[in-house]
Amino acid sequence: MSSVNILKKITAWDRISASHLLSRALFGHSSEDLDFALSLTIDEYVDNYLLADLTEEPQSPGFWVNDSESYNNSVRSRELVYWWHNLMLTQSHSLREKMVLFWHNHFVSELSVVQLPQRMYHQNRLFRQFAFGNFKELTKQVTVDPAMLIYLDNTKNRKEDPNENYARELMELFTLGIGNYSEADIAEAAKALTGWQVDGLQSYLDPERFDDSTKTFMNQTGNFDHLDIIEIIFTKPEVASFVCRKLYKEFIYFEPDESVVEQFATIFRDNDYELKPVLSALFKSDYFYSQEIVGAKIKSPIEFIIPLLKNFNIAKPTYEDLRRIADDLGQTLFSPPNVAGWEGDKSWVNTNTLPARNTFSDRLISSNDSELNILEFARTFESSEDAVQFVNDVAEKFLSYSLSENRKQYLLDILLDGAEVYDWSTYNENSEARLTSFFKSICRLSEYQLT
Amino acid sequence: MDRRKFLRQLGLLASASTMSMTMGSVPLRAFGKSIYKADELNGKVLVLIQLSGGNDGLNTVIPFEDSLYYNARPNIAINKSDVIKLNPLTGLHPSMEPFKQFYDEGKLAIVQNVGYPSHNRSHFRSTDIWLSGSDSDEYLSDGWVGRYLGNSLTNDPNYNLDHPMAISLGSTQDSLLSCTCQSGSLGISFEDPNQFFQLINGSSADTDPPPNTIAGNQLKYVKEIAARSIKYAEIIKEKADTIDNQTNYPNTDLADQLSIIAQLVAGGLETPVYLTSIGGFDTHSNQLGRHASLLDNVSQSLSAFQRDLELLGVADRVVTMTFSEFGRTVEQNGSGGTDHGAAAPLFVLGKNVNGGIWGGNPDLTDLDGSGDNKFKYDFRQVYATMLRDQLGAGPDDMENILFKDFDTLPLVSVKHITSGGPRAFELNQNYPNPFNPRTKISYTLRLPQVISLKVFDSTGRLVKTLFSGHKDAGTFTETFGGNEYPSGIYYCHLVSGSYRKTIKMTLLK
Repeated sequence: MSSVNILKKITAWDRISASHLLSRALFGHSSEDLDFALSLTIDEYVDNYLLADLTEEPQSPGFWVNDSESYNNSVRSRELVYWWHNLMLTQSHSLREKMVLFWHNHFVSELSVVQLPQRMYHQNRLFRQFAFGNFKELTKQVTVDPAMLIYLDNTKNRKEDPNENYARELMELFTLGIGNYSEADIAEAAKALTGWQVDGLQSYLDPERFDDSTKTFMNQTGNFDHLDIIEIIFTKPEVASFVCRKLYKEFIYFEPDESVVEQFATIFRDNDYELKPVLSALFKSDYFYSQEIVGAKIKSPIEFIIPLLKNFNIAKPTYEDLRRIADDLGQTLFSPPNVAGWEGDKSWVNTNTLPARNTFSDRLISSNDSELNILEFARTFESSEDAVQFVNDVAEKFLSYSLSENRKQYLLDILLDGAEVYDWSTYNENSEARLTSFFKSICRLSEYQLT
Repeated sequence: MDRRKFLRQLGLLASASTMSMTMGSVPLRAFGKSIYKADELNGKVLVLIQLSGGNDGLNTVIPFEDSLYYNARPNIAINKSDVIKLNPLTGLHPSMEPFKQFYDEGKLAIVQNVGYPSHNRSHFRSTDIWLSGSDSDEYLSDGWVGRYLGNSLTNDPNYNLDHPMAISLGSTQDSLLSCTCQSGSLGISFEDPNQFFQLINGSSADTDPPPNTIAGNQLKYVKEIAARSIKYAEIIKEKADTIDNQTNYPNTDLADQLSIIAQLVAGGLETPVYLTSIGGFDTHSNQLGRHASLLDNVSQSLSAFQRDLELLGVADRVVTMTFSEFGRTVEQNGSGGTDHGAAAPLFVLGKNVNGGIWGGNPDLTDLDGSGDNKFKYDFRQVYATMLRDQLGAGPDDMENILFKDFDTLPLVSVKHITSGGPRAFELNQNYPNPFNPRTKISYTLRLPQVISLKVFDSTGRLVKTLFSGHKDAGTFTETFGGNEYPSGIYYCHLVSGSYRKTIKMTLLK
């Protein structure tokens, strides 16, 4: 894989490649979404839809987002999670929400520390505004974002008593990566970051608390403030490599190929940290669609839950249920485990969370109070009366990882439950029970955990 | 989190009652302790408690006579009058009263100044170092416990594969248990045995082998997790249901996890390693109250756990150890907190622990380049001690687990162990056999223990005692000379406690 040229574009824009792109770039998709993407060229779809600038901002979860008082925080916090789950479920052909989640997991803050859900909302807005904008500008704004200032103690960082927490994570986790700065750089950067305060939902610089002195940071000397520090950090080539490595892990595979990362990093540097050129190259590259990559990502809880709903055309889920299952599966939005964010990949799936995923999909499929009617749903497939073809078609729609013949036979046996293939019809007695166990089984497959 | 309510909505708790009906309407817990026989098991257990975030060692084990400590922390030092004194120089945080009792009973060891050379101050890197057991400039992708399980336990023909090798309670962090010698991790994790069992209901294992591609390997991992959940759910529930906790645990996640461990150990689960964790130790600001409540939780939870183990009759087998990725800065910061530091104390608790304080207070006149505590004990010395003296790893195992030779510390008392149980020793066939006049008998002890190695003739008469007494773990060879004895069959017994292994030897003149 070391001879990969990521500028080589994909040649076959077909159902398999389109399905792969939509699975990775969106939170699930319907058959109609897939047809729509295929009605366009890949360039049109990526540039005019996935990466299109969206001018409209989604409606906020409520009037309270601009209330600077602390009131009813637990209810508001839940509403905030419902709101974002809903955006993920209802967004159309845009990469935006996926990138908002990416930034949430990059510039991490935790609601339990930040306290006011309003602050997490405004930070989330910032991520949405910069979803695929300029990373350097985003870094500057995040640095003085009220939620971040509180989360990493930078409001406590003042001239007389510097607090290094934000300075360290700015370099270790947000821009350079460990090993690319010294302990002295942290101490000096902390001085330049002094003085910021939060009042309600606003941040401001208190000159009294700012260390108005000469600092020596990464071999440069001056009376630096936070913007200067960030400018200096962004002269280092490691920034682009660091962020592109994370993008690779998010969209391609958990173990990055460094030669590929460097090619993306070059694009990133050449475009002064604009994200669109990088993402556009990524999604159009032949490499992204290689067989090695398709189906090789373990779904995060959000990537499991939201696409599961979309698989079954469930448009009005009970949002409190979603919040709870996401919590059980280890991904409560606005509450990452620590400043490094969710680790991803294999850590999502363990002997506790995998069975919990299975019981959630079981329950969704057999629940009486959901809008899902399994018979009607099955009949949305043209092949619903042809058991063998039906199994194939559902597998193709539900799974990125292509099933072995063995597994297809296993699903067919469950669907037929002892009946002969030629006897199959959704109009038979008992077909509802058979369809229910068939759909439960396909969502219980280990293959369903991959995308 | 209101998990029970959610589970009820899922219909899981409803099916739990269905299940007890299949047990003849007898609630499983009603079996109580009638099927519990502690003396059947001698397996040793190590419980690891991870204090995530970097515990402030100086405010935990306090050098209350050191003015440098008070100078460095004008606002957050613990007042001398509040310190729980252990000796004239060292004391505990006032929240840790239960630990004082354990100290007085000789069950608590405090190892001072544990760390490693070139201490890393990143949470993530330093946690990786602690979990993997690496040097600070070495990157290992598996955990030290995983290597123990993968190298030693999987090669032990006597290990009961029906029981999970390691259990991580309520944590998704199991890199500690992962091993490159096997695919993935060798442990399992869950939050509650009953809930775990219910979650598994209806699953079936999928034995279809995935192809050897990137995606295929990911699939293999998921399938293994699925298979492991199914395999162990039943026995875990069974063992947990056998036992009722004998003490009242505080209402915290850590205490819940420890209470489950006590049930599983006493219930006869043969799992040797348990991992639990508690977060929140990253006290950059306003640390006094937060740290006090964390230490209160740790000491109250551990106290309930230790007393429970004692009442359940299994305290002989269990050693509990805390660890944290680093200590904190000697000096307070400007926010009423402390920043990432270096070496720190850790605790080892257990009935067979040699209580006391190992090493002196941190020398605050001799700090590292960043002004933090220097380490005196490498953390891997503690690991080596646990591996050898608690888990019974042999010298070869140690080489595969820690890669270097670390001096152990006398933290765990091994001298009064008369037997490590049937799995703790092995007697090999003598060589040559038949023999004339001499033959060599080799045997392996996985734990230090009191043994005897004796030769008997076919009438049961003692012919010769080759060894009798205490021996360290290792492989040993004794020679038996047959010059003075007639040809015939001889038996060599290796006895450890009430367990015996025998070989038949033929002297042919």
